[in-house]
Amino acid sequence: MGTTSIWLAGVGGQGLVLTTRILTGVAFREGWDVKATDVVGLAQRGGKVWGTVRFGTKVHSPLISRGQGDFLLSFEDLEGLRWMEFLKPAATIIMGRDVIFPNRVLLEKEEYPDNVVSQFRAQGFRVTALPTKTMAKELGNARLANTILLGNLSRHLSWQLESWEDVISQNVPPKTIEGNLKAFAQGRKLVFPGESPPEDRG
Amino acid sequence: MSKTAVMSVNQAIARGFWEAGGRVATSYPGSPTVQIMESLLDYPDMTSRWAINEKVALEVAIGASIAGARSLVSMKHVGVNIAADPLMTFTQVETVGGFVLVVGDDPGLSSSQNEQDTRFFTRFANIPLLEPSTAQEAKDYVDEALVISEQWGTPVIIRLTSTLCHSQGVVQLGQRRDEPVEGFNEDQARFCMLPPYSRDQQHFMQQRMAALRELSEVSPLQQYEESSNLRCLIITSGISYQHLQELGADVSILKLGMSYPLPVQRIGELAALHQQVIVLEELMPFVEDELKAAGLAVEGKRYFSFTGELTPDDIRTGLIQAGVIPSALTSAAEDSHVVGRTPILCAGCPHRPIFHILKQAQAVVIGDIGCYSLGILEPFEVLKTNLSMGASLGMIQGVALAQRMAGNVKPLVATIGDGTFFHSGLSGLADLVNTRENITLLILDNRTTAMTGGQMTPTTRDFVKDEDLTGINLPELLRAFGVEDVQVVNQFHYDKTRRIIVSAMEHQGLSVIIATRPCALNFKLRYPHYYVDSDLCISCRQCIAVNCPPISMRAEAGTEEKRSFIDPDMCVGCSVCSQVCPVKAIKSSRSQEV
Repeated sequence: MGTTSIWLAGVGGQGLVLTTRILTGVAFREGWDVKATDVVGLAQRGGKVWGTVRFGTKVHSPLISRGQGDFLLSFEDLEGLRWMEFLKPAATIIMGRDVIFPNRVLLEKEEYPDNVVSQFRAQGFRVTALPTKTMAKELGNARLANTILLGNLSRHLSWQLESWEDVISQNVPPKTIEGNLKAFAQGRKLVFPGESPPEDRG
Repeated sequence: MSKTAVMSVNQAIARGFWEAGGRVATSYPGSPTVQIMESLLDYPDMTSRWAINEKVALEVAIGASIAGARSLVSMKHVGVNIAADPLMTFTQVETVGGFVLVVGDDPGLSSSQNEQDTRFFTRFANIPLLEPSTAQEAKDYVDEALVISEQWGTPVIIRLTSTLCHSQGVVQLGQRRDEPVEGFNEDQARFCMLPPYSRDQQHFMQQRMAALRELSEVSPLQQYEESSNLRCLIITSGISYQHLQELGADVSILKLGMSYPLPVQRIGELAALHQQVIVLEELMPFVEDELKAAGLAVEGKRYFSFTGELTPDDIRTGLIQAGVIPSALTSAAEDSHVVGRTPILCAGCPHRPIFHILKQAQAVVIGDIGCYSLGILEPFEVLKTNLSMGASLGMIQGVALAQRMAGNVKPLVATIGDGTFFHSGLSGLADLVNTRENITLLILDNRTTAMTGGQMTPTTRDFVKDEDLTGINLPELLRAFGVEDVQVVNQFHYDKTRRIIVSAMEHQGLSVIIATRPCALNFKLRYPHYYVDSDLCISCRQCIAVNCPPISMRAEAGTEEKRSFIDPDMCVGCSVCSQVCPVKAIKSSRSQEV
């Protein structure tokens, strides 16, 4: 099989590193060669963070070339937008709706874009926008948002449910396993043909 | 079938050391190599520990090596500068227990102050260099490095780069081998680097390098793949090799696993078979220049940048330019303007009130390395210099001297964190104690090395109640150094802190202020959140100026008028914004307000 490339984008502190690790772990468990990377360092202080997961019969580079990404997992609207050029035409974007103002927006020097979903659609990408933040809070833990996203991504990958559940259980704090599996199941059954309303917006 | 696992290159280095019978590992935290020690700490049957700085880390590993233990020390590229003094002389010593120095370079400066290329250190220090390109190789090369070290009595450097350090791949796991430690066999001629002994060692080093050059010519670490057309030979190493493979170009490739000393003779033979030879390397033309010096017609930096990481896209562009691969149409989405996102001090960060006060006081601040380097960025922009670990304490003396000569008598302030102060601020302080200039030193004692993920410092003990932790009492240390004006403040008492800083800035001579609030992120500090009473808010934006992630201006429903708003999910209740609000519109969500 050729290589499938997944780009993950978010803000420091959103748990992107753990999500990358889970995704990498499931691909490995499903028998694929896999390469992945995540950018850490200064990013811990609310900076932009991104990661990649690439799997296939034989994968060399962990990095994705421009126009080569099959999926974008967006943890924050603006950060999803930032890496659009790395996606294939008609790539699939799964967005967990969240807005974290970058510094220049806090300081009112620049505007936060209010049309992220339509910008994606205008480029011809297939977009699923999920209110993961609200859903996670309803499940009792805001940190479950990423697992809901993984659940939704799992609809597009022909991997066994058992692999997902095992790897998630091995990687999340023991006390949160049940919540995470529930969040995953919710994300897996969600089909959002249309755009969900943005939340927490001023 | 042997067991396999997915791990990062950093984790694979740790695994490789453990499997190879490693005994002593040391490090000082610095991106991109922090995770090496974090992983090492999980392995049994060996001693792994953080050191106070890279020089001490290296010295501990040197001591363990000469007493017969297989040793590893890891650090970021600039750490090698601190450790260069012992390294440059240790390389003359015939090592006993295998010794490997793992260095993480940072092309692209994702978390560093410079982009220096460690490969030059290997030539400078007569040390062989290994460059893995995957997690599997990272693990294998640790063993190779230890074997080379013991066979030729040499330290070995393994060089990684940022993306490589964090890249993950599939690794075959092995068992740990037992490598007994023989202990220290006294041998002055071997370990006392003083003439006449050190004079003899120059010849030892020269012979060692000659032997290693021969090894490099025949080593299986140098992998050659030949294309059928013999048109172009690309010489590369590290992560660039993996990116190149991804392009699937019809070229011959010589992948250097050992990139110093270079297999110059073999490269000459291979070059003669090809019409074109291209060196693909990040940063400086280290390999290219060496091959040109050997009289080989190679190209490299003509096509690839001397700065930043080389991504698969950069490599494709360079090879198209070189006529090696045909130009291809890309169908990527249009590049649109996206608002940038610079790092920002965390919600509840104890550095925030300090920078806000220094900005109000129009202080000239000599900065240092840590999270508080973010005081350089807007909106604070109060740090006027940023150079290297602990440099603020020496630099401030020089700035003060020259300022006086220029007739500028403004008070000067230096900011330094506890981690950086203990790393390399102590000698700067000893030299500063008797200054007659007006210098205020702010030690931002947040009890952790925060920027690299919260490793312990000698003042962590004051905050973590653990009887087993040893520590250093900072005020007592300063007084023992002879500093007379020492003050301790809790900077979440904003007005009191401001008065103390302003009065220290008026005091001639050295004043030291220790700000004691611990790191909000590392110690997970969280108090009831604050909120803005929008009936009282006058939209003056004083709270926006303290620049906390949860605080922004937002329009009230149905109006154009913006009021300050605090995101309750992000606020950790430090109260600093409420103290700068002139109309007391920011209130605690505690039922009884404080």
